[in-house]
Amino acid sequence: MAEAAESPGDPGTATPRPLMRDLKAVGKKFMHVLYPRKSNTLLRDWDLWGPLILCVTLALMLQRGSVDSEKDGGPQFAEVFVIVWFGAVTITLNSKLLGGNISFFQSLCVLGYCILPLTVAMLVCRLVLLAEPGPINFMVRLFVVIVMFAWSIVASTAFLADSQPPNRKALAVYPVFLFYFVISWMILTFTPQ
Amino acid sequence: MLQQDSNDDIEDVSLFDAEEETTSRPKKSKIRHPVASFFHLFFRVSAIIVYLLCELFSSSFIACMVTIILLLSCDFWAVKNVTGRLMVGLRWWNHIDEDGKSHWVFESRKASPQDSKTVSEAESRIFWLGLIACPVLWVIFAFSALFSFRVKWLAVVIMGVVLQGANLYGYIRCKVGSRKNLTSMATSYLGKQFLRQTTGDDQTS
Repeated sequence: MAEAAESPGDPGTATPRPLMRDLKAVGKKFMHVLYPRKSNTLLRDWDLWGPLILCVTLALMLQRGSVDSEKDGGPQFAEVFVIVWFGAVTITLNSKLLGGNISFFQSLCVLGYCILPLTVAMLVCRLVLLAEPGPINFMVRLFVVIVMFAWSIVASTAFLADSQPPNRKALAVYPVFLFYFVISWMILTFTPQ
Repeated sequence: MLQQDSNDDIEDVSLFDAEEETTSRPKKSKIRHPVASFFHLFFRVSAIIVYLLCELFSSSFIACMVTIILLLSCDFWAVKNVTGRLMVGLRWWNHIDEDGKSHWVFESRKASPQDSKTVSEAESRIFWLGLIACPVLWVIFAFSALFSFRVKWLAVVIMGVVLQGANLYGYIRCKVGSRKNLTSMATSYLGKQFLRQTTGDDQTS
């Protein structure tokens, strides 16, 4: 279910699908998000492994408190998961209700992969937070988050906007804006205890 | 070769047994892909074990959750792409054509005359047992998590239900698709039997 691009032909051969091919496909999609071009790769060969990896990484990095204590970041971990997946599903439903001709999983794929810039922003923020706190610290993090937020928006609209009729593009794009804004907000307001 | 040896042994013992062996098509009951069978069950069962014993393993909820997610993902990929094809000759996937329309394709291996491609009974049993039992367990866990208010586990449990349920649904559709001919054959055979019985009754009465 999570991948496309199966080799057609006689199922009588029934050879197992090669793992390297799937890993390379995931890597290729990460590259496409980092350098967004007009291409169909994210849409045609969709898979949800990238979004899963990014979601888990983001949730792990957004932990407060130490990992071994009683009140470890359990609820926050589940919270990030729910926000990302529920948000992506809601945007997809919105896009489909507006008459977009993109399939459910393709849309989830694009939205999930475009979280990559924000995950990078989270990584940078965590590193910056190791330095001493202060207004400069905050300004640096703000700048990084804003840049990565813009990058996510540009990358996802490059893929999603084409699926909508021209007069509906703004209606389809603003929930994407909200979605990445919420994630950016979580990243910006994160403070480790 | 193993088949021939056993036949030879049986022929030495009793003629009647040898006849039975040759009249019915010998079903392979040995496991041809032991590694695939092992991994088919390993990921699913360890995900369930980690979920049940997480309190004992480690006090960290995060570590347990990440481990279970990892195991569920590996299991999903392995069952969908490797063990299904090797053990029972079924596969399913999604295909996006030139117009951007998405199609779900469910295929099953056609029965070939050579013995090397037949499905072994033991593997088939292992496959379906693992495929059906685990999603049922995850659904039970979902209800128990809901009713005992352990809501933080709900995300993981729902993920388990969705991933394993998806594989179950996909493979059942593959199987049902291939069995259409069988069911129509069975109904026509039963119909003929029924007709024969009623005409036979008419003749005798």
